[in-house]
Amino acid sequence: MVAMLSVERLVKRRGSREILTDITFRAAPGRVTGLLGPNGAGKSSTLRILLGLDRADAGTALVNGQPYRHLRRPLRTVGSMLDGSGAHRSRTARNHLSWVARSNGIPKRRVAEVLDQVGLGGAGRTRVGRFSLGMGQRLGLATALLGEPEALVLDEPVNGLDPEGIRWIRGLLRGHASSGGTVLLSSHLMSEVAEVADDLVVIAGGRVVANGPIREVTVGYPSLEDAFFALTAPEPTAGGR
Amino acid sequence: MTFRNTLAAEVRKTATLPATFVALAVAVLGPIAITILNAFTVRNALRTGRVDLVADTSPVETAFAAIPLGTVGAVILGVVVISSEYTVNSTNAGGGRQLTATLTATPGRLRVLAAKATVVVLLVAVVATLTIPASLLLAGQIIGSGASTPVGADGVLSRSVGAGIYWALTALIALAVTVFTRSGIVPIVVLVVNSSLVSVSLLLSYLTSLAWYLPDLAGIRLFAGHLTTFDNALAPLTGGLVMAAWAAGLLTVAGAVLVRRDA
Repeated sequence: MVAMLSVERLVKRRGSREILTDITFRAAPGRVTGLLGPNGAGKSSTLRILLGLDRADAGTALVNGQPYRHLRRPLRTVGSMLDGSGAHRSRTARNHLSWVARSNGIPKRRVAEVLDQVGLGGAGRTRVGRFSLGMGQRLGLATALLGEPEALVLDEPVNGLDPEGIRWIRGLLRGHASSGGTVLLSSHLMSEVAEVADDLVVIAGGRVVANGPIREVTVGYPSLEDAFFALTAPEPTAGGR
Repeated sequence: MTFRNTLAAEVRKTATLPATFVALAVAVLGPIAITILNAFTVRNALRTGRVDLVADTSPVETAFAAIPLGTVGAVILGVVVISSEYTVNSTNAGGGRQLTATLTATPGRLRVLAAKATVVVLLVAVVATLTIPASLLLAGQIIGSGASTPVGADGVLSRSVGAGIYWALTALIALAVTVFTRSGIVPIVVLVVNSSLVSVSLLLSYLTSLAWYLPDLAGIRLFAGHLTTFDNALAPLTGGLVMAAWAAGLLTVAGAVLVRRDA
C-alpha cells in the first residue's frame, strides 16, 4: 500500500534540547491517523516539519515520496491547518481565502464553496480579528479544503469547536477518508481521537511510544484512556499523572 | 507560471491589507501637503520681499524638499508587507500568524520574497508617478511668477525619476530589514525617524566621509539639488548604484535567512 504521508526517523533540536527523537510513522490513504500525545510532546513540531515550515536536523518527512517544499501547487495535494486560521486579523475571511486560492491557481468559486461548507457562508465579509475561536477554526478548515486536496493535515482541529462543530468535523474527516483521502490529525484529547481515528501514533517526550491500528495499540488496556496514560507516563510507568 | 500565481496572490494580499492604505496615504498626501505648505511660505516671502526667510524660492526645490515624506510612506509599505506575515492573531480567534498560510501555500520562500519585493516596487512606482508631478505642478501654481527656476528646468525630470528610485530602494531596504526583525515596530521607528526627523547618517557624515556610503545618504543626490549640506555626497549615478547595492545585498541576506529559518 502506498503511504501518502511518511515520516522517517525525524530528529529536531532546539538549542541543546532534542525535542523530536526518531519519529517514524505513516498516514495511509483511506484512513484517519491520529497523532496523540500530551501538550508539548512534539505533535505540532512534527507536523510543521512535514509541511516544510520547520527544518529537521535529521530524517525525512515526505508527501507522496516528495518533500513538501518540492510540491508545485501544494494546496491541491495537502490541505493543512496549524495554530488558528492563518488569516491576518484585519482581512476578511473571503479576502483571506481569495489570495490563498490565487497562490495555487485554485478557481475562485471554491472560496464561496468552502465558506458554505464550513458554515461561514454569512461571515465572509467579517474581519478575522473579530472571529470567535470556533469561527477561526472553521476558517482554518476552509483554507485546508480550498484546493480539494487528497490529504488533510490538521493540528488540534476540534479546539474551540462546540459539540455540534465537533460532530460535524468528525463526519467531514470520516467522509474524506472513506472516499480514499488521507487524514492526519493531532490531538491531546483521547476521546476525540478514539471517535474518529483508524490508526494511532502515540507520542510522548518527542518519541513515538505506540503506533498501529487503534485496536492493537489499546490491546491489554481497559480503555484508550488507560492505554494513553500508561504509554505516555514518565518512567517508571505510573498510573495517571 | 507559478511565479505569476505567487505574484497575483501577493498583489491581492497587499491590496486587502488596511496598513497598505496608510502607507500609500502617507506617500501620496504627505509630500503634496508639505509642498503646498512650503509653497505658500515661499509665495509670502516673495510678496513681502523677505526672501532671506526661505532656503530657496524655486518651485522645484520646494517640491523636492517634501520628498522625505514620501520616503516615510515607502518605509511603511516595505515594512508592513513583511510584518503583517508575523502579526499574531487575537487568541480569541485562535491565534496563529499569516506566515503559516503563506508558506504552506507557497513553500518556495525566495519566490514569496521576490513577489513581495515586486509588489512594493510597483506600488512605489505608481505613487511616484502621481505624487511628484502633482507636487511640482502645485508648487509652480502657488508660487507663480517671481520664482527663480521654472518647473520645466533642466534636470527636473531626472531628479523626479531619481526620487522614485530612491523611494523604491528605501522600501526594499525596509522590507529586507523587517525580514530580520520579524516585527514592524523597530524598523518603522528607526527608519521613519532617520528619514524624516533626525538623519543619523547625516550626523555621522560630519565625523567620517564613509557615512556618505550609507544607504540613505548614498542615494540622496538622486533627487536632492545642490544644497550645501550635500556638497560631499556621492554623484547621482554612483550614489544610486551604491544604494541599489545595499538593497540587493540586504535582500540577498534576507532571502538566505528566510530560507534557513524555521517559520
